[in-house]
Amino acid sequence: MERIGDVESSLQFGEEIERLMTIPHESGTASSFTALLKLPANQAMELLHDSSEKPYDYSLNCTSSSSHLHFPSNLDLLERASRLSVFSTAAAQDSPETTNSSQNSLKVKNEPTETDSNPKSSPEISDPMSQTQTKCQRSGKRKGREKKVKNSSKKSKSAENEKPEETEKLPYVHVRARRGQATDSHSLAERARREKINARMKLLQELVPGCNKISGTALVLDEIINHVQTLQHQVEMLSMRLAAVNPRINFNLDNLFPAESGSLVEGNFPSMVMPLTWAQVQPIGNRQQQQQLWHFDTLHQPVWGDNPNFITPENSLLSYDSSANSVSMHSNRLKMEL
Amino acid sequence: MPPSSIEKAFLKKWLKGLQALSSSSSSSTSKKEMSIFERKKAIKLSADVAMASLKNGTTSWSRALIQNASKDDNNRTLLKNMLGSQCDEKLSRGPTTTSMMCSMRVRSKRVLRRSCRWRRVRKITKDQRVHAGSMAKRLVKKRTQVLRSLVPGGEYMDEYSLFEETLDYIMSLRAQVDVMRRLANASEFSSKS
Repeated sequence: MERIGDVESSLQFGEEIERLMTIPHESGTASSFTALLKLPANQAMELLHDSSEKPYDYSLNCTSSSSHLHFPSNLDLLERASRLSVFSTAAAQDSPETTNSSQNSLKVKNEPTETDSNPKSSPEISDPMSQTQTKCQRSGKRKGREKKVKNSSKKSKSAENEKPEETEKLPYVHVRARRGQATDSHSLAERARREKINARMKLLQELVPGCNKISGTALVLDEIINHVQTLQHQVEMLSMRLAAVNPRINFNLDNLFPAESGSLVEGNFPSMVMPLTWAQVQPIGNRQQQQQLWHFDTLHQPVWGDNPNFITPENSLLSYDSSANSVSMHSNRLKMEL
Repeated sequence: MPPSSIEKAFLKKWLKGLQALSSSSSSSTSKKEMSIFERKKAIKLSADVAMASLKNGTTSWSRALIQNASKDDNNRTLLKNMLGSQCDEKLSRGPTTTSMMCSMRVRSKRVLRRSCRWRRVRKITKDQRVHAGSMAKRLVKKRTQVLRSLVPGGEYMDEYSLFEETLDYIMSLRAQVDVMRRLANASEFSSKS
């Protein structure tokens, strides 16, 4: 009794989606729907085939653009539509549960929250249409930074013993609870929250070098902590070096280019590119990477013009010369430490 | 690699702060009295504040950093010069209330979560998955605590914001280290020649 009505509504949704698919435009609401279509293929395939280990590359679909999810072309749409239809048939053929569950009520909820929840987070919804809708709405709100999505092994269970939720109204999604997990709203919110957090962890993993191969939250966190501590120590060391180098804490950039006929003129940007000094700096200054000095000329105008107490280049040059010996000792010691 | 715009802006601000420091110290005390450690502290402080001020208060860690810096009275002059006096007052008032709210929110969330988890653990005990899972959770909790202590203002954030802030903080730290390293190399080179 309930099911018939639900089947009708799900059919309605199917029609709506197809309608939207054929309309290539980029209005606000529709963009989320079209964004829907970018994800479904991968997500659906991933979940249906229960391949949790394979990291699915989204680069071909939705993540190329940053925050807009624009509509690529009609051809892409048709391609995706064909893929979707493939999935619906495949779903019908492959597993009996999917056909069973497609008869169950599956409705879509417009998530009111603006926070991004990860598409991979949503549990296996066998009906690819509604599944796409939920996931893509979420992805539509997501910033396009995610590249790979991996289902954690916990979440990759195939759709076996699933209990649909009870909802009456149209905009609510029927989230399938996994086996042994509660379906009340608290735990749902918890799950959504956790999956948001996992999304952020993924980003952090990509950011921190050498983190990609590590699995497990605790180890990844270890790496992140290590990285942050390393960076903070580097800041300390560098500030120590700078303190050692310079007896007074003003960095006269003119002196860094001794070959230049230096002037602290405001109006012009003298071509401070000193290929001579830069070439000399290269072999010394580079330890790990190639570091090139910048054009400090851009800094001269706003910086130097302001300060009335500015020390003239001659003075600082002299100070460098006089204190050069003591300074070099300091810097040598520091270099050894580093 | 050529420096990005962030790095250039950071350098500008940082040098401005250093000049302010050197000028103020020259007026009050003689420069020779600043030991190397004091100089290092001043350099590091101005670098941190410069980086944080670039964010314009959009991120929580930057606000917390500037707030922590302004707590120490010695830094008042530096901060005033770098940020402008209005920024200093604005930042001192704003983040305290938000951090209080955040901590209250976090605490209430924790209470709620604990009660829910207790209920849920009872259901799952049959599966015997609790023990491994709970140990993993404890490890993660410990790490999260450590991360909170590293990121400025981390104690007041919930987990999700903590990770976001960590992301941003790491990016800024990298830029900062890059700039400082280049300047240090250039200074050392010029002092040698």
